[in-house]
Amino acid sequence: MDPECSRLLPALCAVLVDPRQPVADDTCLEKLLDWFKTVTEAGPSLLLLQENPCLVELLFRVLKAHDPHPRVLSFSLRLAGLFAAQEDCFQYLQQGELLPMLFGEAGPLGGAAWTAPTVRSGWLQGLRSLAQHPSALLFLADCGAVDTIFSLQGDSSLFVASAAGQLLVHILALAMQSPAEGHPSPQGCDWPACAQKIVCHVEDSLHSTATPQVTQALNVLTTTFGHCHGPWTQGLWVRLSPLVACLLEKDPIPASHSLMDLLLSVARSPVGSSDCGLWETLAQTLSHLSPIQAGPLALGILKLQDCPQALKTQAFGVLLQPLACVLKAAAQSPGPPGFPEGATGDSMTVDTFLSSKSACVGLLCQALAHLELLQLLPQRPSPWPQAPLLRAAVAILRFCNGSAAPTSDVGGHLCAVLAGCVRVQRAALDFLGTLSQGTGPQELVTQVFAVLLEYLTSPDSSPTVLKKAFQATLRWLLGSPKAPSCCDLDPHTQLFLRELLPVLRKRLCSPCWEARDSGLEFLTQVTRHWGGQAAFRHALLASEVPELTRQLLRDPESYVRASAVTATGQLSSWGLYTTPTSPEHPEVQQESLFTELLHILSTDSEGFPRRAVMQVFTQWLKDGHADVAEDLEQFVARVLQVASRDLDWEVRAQGLELALVFLEQLLGHPGSRCPYAVALPEAAAPATLAQVLQALCRVQLFEFALRALFDCDRPVAQKSCDLLLFLRAKATPCGGPQEAGASPDVVSVEAALQRWQAGEQGQPLGELEPEAVMAVLRSMDLEGLRGTLAKSSDHIEKSPQSLLQDLLASVGVLGENEADCY
Amino acid sequence: MPEIRVTPLGAAEAGSTSHPPSCSGAGQDVGRSCILVSIGGKNVMLDCGMHMGFSDDRRFPDFSYITRNGRLTDFLDCVIISHFHLDHCGALPYFSEMVGYDGPIYMTQPTQAICPILLEDYRKIAVDKKGEANFFTSQMIKDCMKKVVAVHLHQTVQVDDELEIKAYYAGHVLGAAMFQIKVGSESVVYTGDYNMTPDRHLGAAWIDKCRPNLLITESTYATTIRDSKRCRERDFLKKVHETVERGGKVLIPVFALGRAQELCILLETFWERMDLKAPIYFSTGLTEKANHYYKLFIPWTNQKIRKTFVQRNMFEFKHIKAFDRAFADSPGPMVVFATPGMLHAGQSLQIFRKWAGSERNMVIMPGYCVQGTVGHKILSGQRKLEMEGRQVLEVKMQVEYMSFSAHADAKGIMQLVGQAEPENVLLVHGEAKKMEFLKQKIEQEFRVSCYMPANGETVTLSTSPSIPVGISLGLLKREMAQGLLPDAKKPRLLHGTLIMKDSNFRLVSSEQALKELGLSEHQLRFTCRVHLHDTRKEQETALRVYSHLKSVLKDHCVQHLPDGSVTVESILIQAAAHSEDPSTKVLLVSWTYQDEELGSYLTSLLKKGLPQAS
Repeated sequence: MDPECSRLLPALCAVLVDPRQPVADDTCLEKLLDWFKTVTEAGPSLLLLQENPCLVELLFRVLKAHDPHPRVLSFSLRLAGLFAAQEDCFQYLQQGELLPMLFGEAGPLGGAAWTAPTVRSGWLQGLRSLAQHPSALLFLADCGAVDTIFSLQGDSSLFVASAAGQLLVHILALAMQSPAEGHPSPQGCDWPACAQKIVCHVEDSLHSTATPQVTQALNVLTTTFGHCHGPWTQGLWVRLSPLVACLLEKDPIPASHSLMDLLLSVARSPVGSSDCGLWETLAQTLSHLSPIQAGPLALGILKLQDCPQALKTQAFGVLLQPLACVLKAAAQSPGPPGFPEGATGDSMTVDTFLSSKSACVGLLCQALAHLELLQLLPQRPSPWPQAPLLRAAVAILRFCNGSAAPTSDVGGHLCAVLAGCVRVQRAALDFLGTLSQGTGPQELVTQVFAVLLEYLTSPDSSPTVLKKAFQATLRWLLGSPKAPSCCDLDPHTQLFLRELLPVLRKRLCSPCWEARDSGLEFLTQVTRHWGGQAAFRHALLASEVPELTRQLLRDPESYVRASAVTATGQLSSWGLYTTPTSPEHPEVQQESLFTELLHILSTDSEGFPRRAVMQVFTQWLKDGHADVAEDLEQFVARVLQVASRDLDWEVRAQGLELALVFLEQLLGHPGSRCPYAVALPEAAAPATLAQVLQALCRVQLFEFALRALFDCDRPVAQKSCDLLLFLRAKATPCGGPQEAGASPDVVSVEAALQRWQAGEQGQPLGELEPEAVMAVLRSMDLEGLRGTLAKSSDHIEKSPQSLLQDLLASVGVLGENEADCY
Repeated sequence: MPEIRVTPLGAAEAGSTSHPPSCSGAGQDVGRSCILVSIGGKNVMLDCGMHMGFSDDRRFPDFSYITRNGRLTDFLDCVIISHFHLDHCGALPYFSEMVGYDGPIYMTQPTQAICPILLEDYRKIAVDKKGEANFFTSQMIKDCMKKVVAVHLHQTVQVDDELEIKAYYAGHVLGAAMFQIKVGSESVVYTGDYNMTPDRHLGAAWIDKCRPNLLITESTYATTIRDSKRCRERDFLKKVHETVERGGKVLIPVFALGRAQELCILLETFWERMDLKAPIYFSTGLTEKANHYYKLFIPWTNQKIRKTFVQRNMFEFKHIKAFDRAFADSPGPMVVFATPGMLHAGQSLQIFRKWAGSERNMVIMPGYCVQGTVGHKILSGQRKLEMEGRQVLEVKMQVEYMSFSAHADAKGIMQLVGQAEPENVLLVHGEAKKMEFLKQKIEQEFRVSCYMPANGETVTLSTSPSIPVGISLGLLKREMAQGLLPDAKKPRLLHGTLIMKDSNFRLVSSEQALKELGLSEHQLRFTCRVHLHDTRKEQETALRVYSHLKSVLKDHCVQHLPDGSVTVESILIQAAAHSEDPSTKVLLVSWTYQDEELGSYLTSLLKKGLPQAS
């Protein structure tokens, strides 16, 4: 421990036990425990206690206190547990009988403080830390702690109850691993007493008629099989599986969710692979549970690595049932829905659909979410019934928007229940989007696009539904096949695009900002992928979408402005940014876009659009955008000039990123190139270092970077440091300009640096000579600065000394301020 | 019995599956309001706050406790955010974009507009200061805000067919609302943070007499009767004025919204009145943008601001200008509002470092600061601060703490309980001991149960099931025929037959019930034998009974029938000789259940005997 901390510790301990000094901030004790945990993990706790007797004294005094504050008591219990985790320290504390006083019957357990959940929680956490060695096991047995833990499983606090269950598992595992016990037999007859006691308690609970008790036992077992993989777990399962099987025979099955968790946990553990009966149990459970209960179990089974095919088929059938029902209800003429055998829309599922609206919606949403998850897994069932799933998704969406014409009673019911149901619409659109990974017959794909278009067009689509419709459409569009001959979009997609763009145009005019924004995001994405496709270019240019996008640069909503900036940037990169007013002078318009974006960068009151502009500019620079290439230095100089003055540190940081791209290009490391880019002259033949430095001086990159070194926002300073280090590394081996010594230039640069470091921002640097800059760079300890910056700026605040000082200083001061939160 | 369950999830405790446990029970929980309510089979999350005092996972509630079974989106029907403070909404993008909740989020329009600014502000500080990579991004904040459905005050919003919510004005900060959550006849009101007294720019909280089953109220100032805010304001202005007068600089670290606007109005008015010339600056564009929203949402401010809006918008400041970093070095007095509010990074800390060395200057902390921040240190009296690079900064400037927090005090809380008339009250967001005091007060004064669960504890309330009963038109018409018009305020007794058919209840006339159910009418009569000592013949005894009853029951129709029996309304009295004792006569009395009262009275009257014949 740091000597300064050691010095402060006695005073702190005295404050903690003083009832007149309430602990001001509830996070402080937490942070104090974090620190003690680090200290005890790093070295011997015994030494710590011997060198700092105030700690043991603190524990004694808290115990003796008449009415200790529950938080301090809880803290003490947890602290004692941390120390006692090491066996020698445990013995040391035992000598003073401190541990029984803290954790035994005589301790807080019997007192009034026990009513505070925080004390019960501290007691459990203290024991959790302490239970690390055989002596701890003996102690637990002697002080009767295990019985208390049993009762805490049913605690009124969720946190306490959950911790009690986990502690039981921990103790069981510790008892079974204890070297003193040798290798216990799987049967359990020679298991340690402590383990026997816990297992007997679990058995009793499984026999119980009270569901909460059964749930507790099942949860303990689930955690056990999830975390412990010793051979003894096999014995445990042999012993308990008949009891679990009994639960399955009850009607209704008690604690069915917990029971499923347990079965899946066992199936995932090594125990599962050796127990053939388990698969039978799982199959039996699947068929016993209601459709809504069986869903999660079915998904869990399908996620298992090794599992009999028959069970997988059964589980998949469970997941498909609701969709099979939908297909049946939507079918115009009778016929098999095309799902694997077993998924035919059974009566139980139909009953659930008919029972209530919430049951129907719940079951459908669950099935769609599970199938969506499953589709993404490598172990998804094969063959994957892509076509019927697509049909089902389309049918659900049609039920939801009222465009289905049901012929059956169930269909009519679904129509009534699902009409306008946003929850199901969202789930179905997500699912439909995921299905774009596969293919389907053209007629079905056409239906998919048709239903998506209906949703994109419908004025009833809520903003969230619209966003998901755009996302699903994008996925289907990008997944659609190219025409084999001309590498262009296939005719169906082209046809769809022609219908889609007017809808997009309408959405860009929506009064709802979410709709405009989702439309712009869609446009950006689709342009990014298809900007080079002739059919797309043609359709887009023929629409009013580019013009509208430009207009949205002045949208009242900043999020929309930012998205419009990104979209116009993307359009412009592909030469798609034109205005109908003067089509004969595209270069003039490009210039006007740059000016417009620069104007946004200089004047927009919000950060999102300004940051979007910087991203566009950086991308343009990387791509060699025509507008940039025209006068590269002028472009960089103007952007940096504006970015350097920005109040948003992220914009300044992006300015440095742009500067780095510029620097790399000058030095001959061009980044990615867009096929529509104009080749930069510099890229052809890397300039000499002297030329590079001259260019950097001309665009005033040095002043920006050097000023940024002392920026009050750390990421800016870090980026600048990296940039200058990169430049220095490049310049030195190439034999760049030689030392300029203490020339007047160097002196003025260094003087400015000192002023900036002192926080004075107002002084400009003026014209710079490359030699002087390089000399200054060489003389600066940039590595040292980078090291300092790498530590987060609150590393001092986080230090234990700071914490102890704050705790001591705030005694009696901050009481009133506490509640005055933001 | 139907029930309502409420679990505050504010602080994660032991047993947390995803991060190290923390421990704060029902103690002061400065951050992180997050309450789970189950009502009528619907699950609603009220607020989704973060704890500013932690910089690891502990800052967010442990959402794994919400449900062990299934997806959050399937389990939760909606999330409701009461206002834009981070301790009420700071975990929202984490919850919706990183944990994966994909359902609807409800908040008022101003909250929807301002929330992303604060979240963005906080994100920038977290990333800037702590270099946190695993934090929600700008895009996530936007995606989260797109899931928001804005609600208007007093507008009933149908979340689904069964669940509806309604917002009420809460004061506290711009756009703050209390929410009523209703499923069928069960309802819960959640106050969020509220203020029962109007302040400089906001009005007082108000709710109608909605009589919810449960009122969940904050109890930050559970035992406090707060001194007048005017005093605190005067004190603030005095301190600022004195410093500026002696040529000093005043730094006021603030978060972008809320407190900043209130103080700006205060200073602007004071500067105008006193004709002061010292400049006042905002350090970043954030607050300007916030002012824009205050202008936009004028209807949410108080009456005074709304009234004066016609002449002048209070949020268009004449004296307050945008700050440039170079101004900090300018000589002369000035007042600067700078973010962040706890002096832990960025602009406010930079200005503090420049100005800390002079006794003439002053820093005013208008809010809570978490441990570890420079704000916390100077408020606790530390004057030598170790900064980066082991530099020690000596703080000579004056340090002041001014609380402008706008929470209801004990009196205000009682007032709200009185307004809403709930059946039960549940206290959150306060300290156990103080809450205990308030709990007793509420229970005594309002005779309702009051709960104060610790975080993680569930309160379960049984509610009466509501069973709607239809009344037949015929019955109603009959009732109307009696000339009494229905009056909602005067409950009336209505006789009829309750029929349960196809899970529906209907109250109909007994005739209609018989008809509908295809039953024939049965008569049920009560009978009683009364023994009288009378040696006369049965007919004479009957006549004596008739005369006696005639004289006693003047308002009733008493008849002596030819067969010798006597009737009073439906009551039949016959006299018979005693089989064993000729000097005793037996009176056989029988009556229908409709005349049970009269029948009982008659028998007791006859049992007393007949008056002697004159």
